[in-house]
Amino acid sequence: METGLHGRCSPRFRLLDESQILRIHHTALRILNEVGVRVNLKKALDLLGDHGARVKGGNVVEIPSYLVEEAIRSAPSGVTLYNRKKEPVMELGGRRIYFGTGTDLPKTVDLKTREIRDTRADDIVASTVISDAAPNIDFIASYGLPRDIRPGLHYIRCFQLEVENSVKPIFFTAGSLEDLNVILDMASTVAGSRQDLGRHPFLVQYSEPTSPLTHSEEAVSKLICCAENRVPINYTPALLAGSTGPVTLAGALSVALAEALSGMVIHQLANRGAPIISGVVATGMDMLKATISYTAPEFRLTHSAYADIFHYYDLPIWGTAGCSDSQYPDLQAGAEYGFTILNAALDGCNLIHDCGYIGQGFVASPEMILFADEVISMVKRYMRGFEIDDEHLAMEVIRNVGPGGHFLSEKHTLDHFLKEHWRPALFNRENLPNWVKKGGKTVDQKLIEKALEILETHKPESLPRETQAALDSIWEQAEQKIRR
Amino acid sequence: MDIIKAIYDAVLEGQVDQASSSVQQALDSGVEAKAILDGSLIAAMDVVGEKFGEGELFIPQVLWSAKAMQAGMDLLKPRFSSEDQAEKGTVVIGTAKGDIHDIGKNLVAIMLEGSGFRVADLGVDVTPERFVEKAVEVKADVIAVSALLTTTMQSMGEVASLIKTKKLPFKMIVGGAPVDQAFCEEIGAHAYGVDAADGLRKVKELLKR
Repeated sequence: METGLHGRCSPRFRLLDESQILRIHHTALRILNEVGVRVNLKKALDLLGDHGARVKGGNVVEIPSYLVEEAIRSAPSGVTLYNRKKEPVMELGGRRIYFGTGTDLPKTVDLKTREIRDTRADDIVASTVISDAAPNIDFIASYGLPRDIRPGLHYIRCFQLEVENSVKPIFFTAGSLEDLNVILDMASTVAGSRQDLGRHPFLVQYSEPTSPLTHSEEAVSKLICCAENRVPINYTPALLAGSTGPVTLAGALSVALAEALSGMVIHQLANRGAPIISGVVATGMDMLKATISYTAPEFRLTHSAYADIFHYYDLPIWGTAGCSDSQYPDLQAGAEYGFTILNAALDGCNLIHDCGYIGQGFVASPEMILFADEVISMVKRYMRGFEIDDEHLAMEVIRNVGPGGHFLSEKHTLDHFLKEHWRPALFNRENLPNWVKKGGKTVDQKLIEKALEILETHKPESLPRETQAALDSIWEQAEQKIRR
Repeated sequence: MDIIKAIYDAVLEGQVDQASSSVQQALDSGVEAKAILDGSLIAAMDVVGEKFGEGELFIPQVLWSAKAMQAGMDLLKPRFSSEDQAEKGTVVIGTAKGDIHDIGKNLVAIMLEGSGFRVADLGVDVTPERFVEKAVEVKADVIAVSALLTTTMQSMGEVASLIKTKKLPFKMIVGGAPVDQAFCEEIGAHAYGVDAADGLRKVKELLKR
């Protein structure tokens, strides 16, 4: 018998060791205990005060470490997301990686004309249909922010268009508590009831505290609402090192961590054990251009670091990847997608969002969802590693073929080639003459063609007629309310 | 006829044992060898070739279909009066002198065999003279020469010259990474195969003319 051999190798990556994790964790605890956070909602301040936090003037509250440690313990280690049909499709937790798009891009590179124009409601449908068809996109988000829908209604409309055009779990934003309640009404209609929605959530609310160390009224209201309804929430700050946080990465990370953890404290005090996904963005502000980089190497360093910290807590982790600072889908975007998707996979993040983003979180280019899909497929194969056992060491077939023979006709080759070796769906592997013969297309061209083909042919599963009618009536009520 | 379809499916799916037992069953029940060959074996391999060209089948699957085809052929051969009658044609194949990279050549050879050609495989590092000698010996239709190294391309030209100066009836096809259509024309070869599937296609075309 063979002992001591791991039958499968797979890429493993960690940035922080335990002493480094604890040092940053302790710093975040000190920030919360000694500096405090501002919480602009009385209900949340009362909750914190009742449980031993010190509420000071100006809505600032100092949170003792035990409340934070308790929240880390009471928050669930795993969050199951279902699809619209109540089938479990994502087990957030551990190092299980899932990818999806992001929310709210105001501009879109038009698939046909290639001009950069305002995002419209039909773009939300298009990106949802493309995401629904893309095999490596596990969850969907609005992707765009439709400018032809009235502010105050666009989050509601986006959610409706998404749930109508895909069965996949939805990662969604909402402007206010009112918005959120309308969206939860829609989701409950699809699920059956609010209780059913809490039991089989097919959605994740995405809210953010405001750096440095501030929880806005809107954000905390949504946080508490989700906790009460047991709707999973992703409550994650986006801190800019040097402007809304310290310029040094360790300091930036500690502040962002304090923000995320204080959100978790409020959330768990509101409803212990309610599902929450956590993480941070701590990236630099470009001090020359005053813009935010989605792909800076420092972004990726803090990404890896917080992933290690939340793995240490054993809590589900948010992630960011498949995005670019380029304003147009070009070589820069290609490099940044490859870098960030591999990085997020190695970090073992669970809910990796923003796939398909370009333009520093301002521009959509729908075919780039398919580009991300291809890179994810490649990275997933890499992450799978390979098996090391008698069958895979292949001694028998090596002996049979011998020196100078070939393995092409071996049964062993036939048995293993499909599983052992990745094949691209869109990336080129044609030789030059064949590539020329088939039209000499670059991957950019193939992506656009594929996106247009999906929009032409892919028909997402539609909602039951009565559900659709109920959604339409919720939408009409929301619209009338805004008009008044 | 169900049995013809069963053999066809066995070849398409690369089921070697199934192919040979079905061919035996067909022969036992009195089906003509020629009908089995054309209706099942060749027909299936034509589809396999097409599917490979379109990216629907992978190389190992093609090779197992070829094996299934061969297994069937082995049972049919004794039923034909001469070997030639059974074969689509004869190809002498090898890598050019100085070149021992043979995986591409092997691939072409297996695909030719799988499509019903008789293949005389001379292996690697084959002199121009040896190609021609063998072609005369087996009454070949085609000489196929493969090269990976640019340094060995020259000996391909020598094979072509030998065919021309001796006024031999053989067609010549070339292939391999450094070779292209222009080189093929320059040395006076008759065809160039971009890859194994194209090589097979070109050999079929050469024999049609």
